[in-house]
Amino acid sequence: MKSALFTAGILAATAVAMPAQADKLDDIIASGTLRCAVVLDFPPMGSRDESNNPIGFDVDYCNDLAAALGVSAEIVETTFPERIPSLMSGRVDVAVASTSDTLERAKTVGFSIPYYAFENAVVAREGIEMASWEDMKGKTVGATAGTYEAIWLEGKVKEWGEGQFRPYQNQADVFLALSQGQLDATVATVEVSEANVKSGNFGGIKIVDKAPMVPDYVALITLREEYGLINYMNLFINQQVRTGRYAELYKKWVGEGEPADLTIPGVYR
Amino acid sequence: MFDTALSTNDLIFLAKGAGMTLIVTAISVFFGTILGIIFGVFRYQVGPWWAAPLTFVLDIFRSIPLLIQLVLANAFVTTVLGYRISGFAIACGVLSLYTAAYCAEIVRGGIEAVPQTLRRAARSLGMTWGQDMTSIVLPLATRVALPSWIGLALGVMKDSALVYIVQVVELLKSTQILITRLQEPLFLLMICGLFYFLISFPIARFGGYLEKRWSND
Amino acid sequence: MFNYTFRWNQALNSLPQMLEGALVTMEIAILSMVIGISIAILLTLFRLSRNPLLVGIAATWVEIARNTPALFQIYMVHFGLAGFGIHLSPYLSLLIGIAFNNAGYLTENFRGALKAIPDTQTRAARSLGMTPLQAFRNVIMPQMLRISFLPMTNQMVWAILMTSLGAVVAMNTDLYGVTSELNARTFRTFELFAIAAVIFYLITKVITLSARLLAARLFRY
Repeated sequence: MKSALFTAGILAATAVAMPAQADKLDDIIASGTLRCAVVLDFPPMGSRDESNNPIGFDVDYCNDLAAALGVSAEIVETTFPERIPSLMSGRVDVAVASTSDTLERAKTVGFSIPYYAFENAVVAREGIEMASWEDMKGKTVGATAGTYEAIWLEGKVKEWGEGQFRPYQNQADVFLALSQGQLDATVATVEVSEANVKSGNFGGIKIVDKAPMVPDYVALITLREEYGLINYMNLFINQQVRTGRYAELYKKWVGEGEPADLTIPGVYR
Repeated sequence: MFDTALSTNDLIFLAKGAGMTLIVTAISVFFGTILGIIFGVFRYQVGPWWAAPLTFVLDIFRSIPLLIQLVLANAFVTTVLGYRISGFAIACGVLSLYTAAYCAEIVRGGIEAVPQTLRRAARSLGMTWGQDMTSIVLPLATRVALPSWIGLALGVMKDSALVYIVQVVELLKSTQILITRLQEPLFLLMICGLFYFLISFPIARFGGYLEKRWSND
Repeated sequence: MFNYTFRWNQALNSLPQMLEGALVTMEIAILSMVIGISIAILLTLFRLSRNPLLVGIAATWVEIARNTPALFQIYMVHFGLAGFGIHLSPYLSLLIGIAFNNAGYLTENFRGALKAIPDTQTRAARSLGMTPLQAFRNVIMPQMLRISFLPMTNQMVWAILMTSLGAVVAMNTDLYGVTSELNARTFRTFELFAIAAVIFYLITKVITLSARLLAARLFRY
């Protein structure tokens, strides 16, 4: 009797001292839903079909991740400037939103290993004389606020000391402004640029040159302290490449050819 | 007449956005008005000195851009306090307080417009404060306040276009989503603007009519 | 109590940039008011002219400005006008958008003020040999501006608050634009916008107080 009471006491004490520490990975599996932030004005990574349902590389990637976890996926549309705030506010669990793994962002959120790598292209409107990316000097240029390209481009404009930089709220507004002639040129990922030039939605734009940036490695993001989930996502990305799903998605959304190499020679991780 | 790729599906999508605009507006105006009446009566009853803290707080809602109010409320509740709450709830909460801040002014103005002598007469007839408020002040103050209140409600509907910032897909946001896909900015924006106009214009006209009619006697 | 770590010093480091943005915000608000008042006076004249075309222009302007969201108006100035080949910089788009909105609301305020000025004054001025325009400029307009001084102050506050909508047209030098660009880079959302809110509050207070002082000086008699 006495020992039973003692055991009960110990149990009660540990229950108070150590509340069950379910992390986000547990929460997702328990809730049965994985909420992904995806940017939907960023074809071919994310866009909408005729019935305004989300489609694209990132949408499929989120669905795959949900399937691996054995839960259903919920796509939450977000814009580039809003993806990290929506993660921080707990409105989504992860962002599958082509997020470049910058050190500045890593102060706030946790990155997985890269799941895709972009190259960036310089897109100009027709009628603008441009032979290479350096001809952007002195022109009115713009990009989507808060993106890797935008930060690079704004830095260049400051360095050149002439011309103007304009940060639009979403990718669609950038291309709209470009085709209307409000901008002379922009920098966007090769995939997005090609998709937009090909679709003919935006008239009078052409790809001029590749932007001289190191490949833009993008990763999945979640809260900084969710190591369990980050570990899971790292393995998941590895498996996507290993099983050939990565190449399959590339072919489906981006086109023929080899998908970008996700390893960086000469360094770990 | 219009050569457009806009399909029935897209119109339904737009209609959903419009519905969201109207729902957010209705909820905010409803709660904002109730709060506004409470605050307005309170401010009038206790006098400027005791109402100063409330006046100060309400004034903040009228001195800071709504966009910043929404961003701050969202960041505070979800990120700092860590509550899981939908953008819709944040939008309705902020817009309600925003409405209340303006409504309190309107209510106070309405009550002040009722002649003091009339109210003293009512009280000297033996009416209680409650009777005085409901039978004398309410009908007279409503006449003064209703046109401004209609203006406020319409203002809130137009301002609700800003709730896109907390991920609520209302009319303007759904228009932008369609623009992204269809690339017909002018045409789609016209539809969006027309919708706001068609709701706002007749009601504003009605408010103007009431104002004119009631100010003559 | 909070799981959140505030990083105020990181946000406060950006204060000089934000204050520069506040100057741009005030500049746009003041310019948009000057333009708005000028246009509103013109539209009021249109209204009084009895020429159906001019009356129609004034009525259309006022109704569009008052019955659609300001965000929509600014977006239209930038992307809508570009459809007709008119390209405006973010600064001009925002300025013109707000001025358009100001003019619409102020014209309506002036209409209310005119009702308070007896018709006999115009007639008296006319019988003194003034042209209709002279009568308006010398007799009616000063009173109209005086009566609508309070609504004009309110509109000025609105103009300051409306500058926050410039982000949709890629405006990045005003207070809101600077703040949201800093936020896109550092994600200290709460800290940055709290500072911006305080600055906005101070600007509106300074403007309303100086308007009150100005009114006391102008309308002493």
